[in-house]
Amino acid sequence: MPFPTPSHRPLLSLPPLRLPPRYTPLAWFTLTHDRRRLVTSLGGVAFAVLLMLIFLGFKNALYDSQIQMLQRLNGDIVMVNRIKDNMFVPEQLARRRLYQAQAFEGVETAYSMYIATGNWKNPETKRVIPLRIIAFNPDEPVLPLPGILAHTDALKMPWTAVIDARSRAEVGPTHAGFTTELMEQQIEVVGSFSLGTDFASGNGNVVMSDQNFLRYFARLGPEKDSRTLNTVDIGILKLTPDTDVNEVVETLRDRLPSDILVFSKDDFALRERRYWQENTNIGFVFGLLTSMSFVVGVILVYQILYTDVADHWAEYATLKAMGYPNSHLLIIVIQEALLLALTGFIPGLLVSMFLYDMAANSTGLLLQMTTERGLNTFIATVIMCLVSGAIAVRKVMTADPADVFG
Amino acid sequence: MWKRRRKTPLAWLNLVHEKTRLLVAIAGVTFAVLIIFMNLGFLGALSITASQIYGQMNADIFLFSPKTLEITTAEPFPIERIYQAAGIKGVTRVMPLYVGYAQWRNPETRINRAIFCYGFNLNDPVFKMPALSDPTLLNRLHQPNTVVFDRQSRPEFGPQDLGTRTEMERREVEIVGQYSLGGGFAADGTAIMGDQNYRRYFDPRPLATIDFGLIQIDQRADPLEMVEVLEKTLPNDVSVMTQAQLTERERSYWITNTSIGFIFSLGVIVAVIVGIVIVYQVLYTDISNHMGEYSTLKAMGYRGQFLFSIVLQEALILAILGYIPGFAIALGLYELTLQATAGTLPVGMTLTRALFVLILTVLMCAISGLVSVQKAVKADPAEVFS
Repeated sequence: MPFPTPSHRPLLSLPPLRLPPRYTPLAWFTLTHDRRRLVTSLGGVAFAVLLMLIFLGFKNALYDSQIQMLQRLNGDIVMVNRIKDNMFVPEQLARRRLYQAQAFEGVETAYSMYIATGNWKNPETKRVIPLRIIAFNPDEPVLPLPGILAHTDALKMPWTAVIDARSRAEVGPTHAGFTTELMEQQIEVVGSFSLGTDFASGNGNVVMSDQNFLRYFARLGPEKDSRTLNTVDIGILKLTPDTDVNEVVETLRDRLPSDILVFSKDDFALRERRYWQENTNIGFVFGLLTSMSFVVGVILVYQILYTDVADHWAEYATLKAMGYPNSHLLIIVIQEALLLALTGFIPGLLVSMFLYDMAANSTGLLLQMTTERGLNTFIATVIMCLVSGAIAVRKVMTADPADVFG
Repeated sequence: MWKRRRKTPLAWLNLVHEKTRLLVAIAGVTFAVLIIFMNLGFLGALSITASQIYGQMNADIFLFSPKTLEITTAEPFPIERIYQAAGIKGVTRVMPLYVGYAQWRNPETRINRAIFCYGFNLNDPVFKMPALSDPTLLNRLHQPNTVVFDRQSRPEFGPQDLGTRTEMERREVEIVGQYSLGGGFAADGTAIMGDQNYRRYFDPRPLATIDFGLIQIDQRADPLEMVEVLEKTLPNDVSVMTQAQLTERERSYWITNTSIGFIFSLGVIVAVIVGIVIVYQVLYTDISNHMGEYSTLKAMGYRGQFLFSIVLQEALILAILGYIPGFAIALGLYELTLQATAGTLPVGMTLTRALFVLILTVLMCAISGLVSVQKAVKADPAEVFS
């Protein structure tokens, strides 16, 4: 018998499992013991979270805002002039490229979009500021925003336009039914839509029909390049349902002359975003500020945990004297850190969402809190609290019961 | 009479009692100070770039269209205005300046980028940069399709060496010289050319309308008085400002008309609040830990005022100890920013900012001190000893 079962020791005579009847949530009690301190601690974590979210939010807003107009275009493929490296470059492509593209299989229709910068007079202050003018055939759903679709018929009248309600305050009124001047010619605002500003449209947007676009931009005088409908700023292709976008993009790149660039809409938006990421200091500036906020967070949470440890010095020493190992104390402090991360994150998130709203209203930038960003920040908060916990716990580890009771 | 020789530095001893915690507290204040410095630095870069550009121009007074928002959105106005100005007593010289964006092709990647161009009459001493007063270079600039290129342009424009040939606005261009100016917030790079070349690249723009009129005045004349005289004489399709006024106008445009001012001001405010919270935590803990001692002091007859001053002293010590490394690191980070952004974001320390942040830090710590001291002042000896 290689494995004899010891008969004198039945299997079920193990000592009864000595789980305490109820586990004492020591970390929770320690944190909630002093209400006023708890509020201060949560405030501390919340502020650290807020600081990170603010800088992160601005960074993303500056990038997101660049592509919010592109994302709302009603189409699958975007065509631009080969040298239009980003939306700032005022280069157009020949409209006939759009007609050519329409001949390909899978392409249902092609829309032209005309973009120019026009001087807008604020009817209240009489100050002139540049706005981005977007024009297309109002019968075509190029930019299907509710405020634009609702005024399709009004936009077909001469000298009319709709204005972006999220334009900067300097633009003046953004409601329907007033008359002002664009390019020193009269213009009637027949409605408003909601889009928002970006670098290329620093102050706001105006949408009008392509016919009206000619009224304002076809005769600019001798010192400026005049516009015609023959050259298009952005060509938008709509594909028939169930067509593979990438395949059509490949075909068009292959067959059309190389004076244009063809992208799927998503790729085009990505390219635009990448341009601003690589060619501006935004990433550096806000990356620096965000990482500094993280360090501030570590310091804040350390202060909180350290105070707690210092206050309960005697209790921790007693626990040690009772035989609890260091790892147990470590677990308590880490638990506290995690609890702080959890409970501090929520108010921080709420306040920053409020601030996002405020900032979006006063700048016209697109500040959005996505689940992914929220999650990333939460993970950063947890790491922040764990780092602080790890530093603060060192003091408990060295706690010598003899010192306390000596 | 007995005189106390040496006052016990109670605030200091309280703080240094726990070394690690003091270090962390100082680090907290340091970082708050640092964040404030960085935000203000980025904000300050606005005024630096504005003054960098106008400061490099040889003019006391500028004429520009009232529709001009900042230098890159300059609206042209008739050149006659500077001829009119030239007829006024006290004006010694008038010079036209043309500006505009052009597409510069990077000869290596063949990608176009918008470059901001200045055009000037090559017989006028428009720019102060030493490179632009070199007669051989000016002779080169008289030739068609030549420009001088800004060393501080972003690297994406491609090689900047003398003799580099590429395309600008679909026309050949050659770099015949270099200077240092910086494009500021609106431009990634700049180039300077003669007015005849400007006419070539910016066709159909005629030279009869100009973007800025640069006016030099008699050294004995008062610029502000001259501005007034010019304003009275010239029609109101031009605005008249001194160099300082124009720089200030440009700065306030960037701060109030773009999101930049809002973003960085919010950054400063949040950093100050975080600083207050950090210092409050330190002081509050200190007070809770030494409640017994504070009560003893009170029982001994020290007044609330005394405890008050101890806590305020601690706050001030934290402010100063946190400010010094914050200031030092900020200098380093400014340098890092300059290098990381290839000089396009000219952050730099100014005395005013250093003082402003110092005052802000002291205020920040004092506020935390005032909030946390209440507990110590209210300390009732009876409670502690009972």
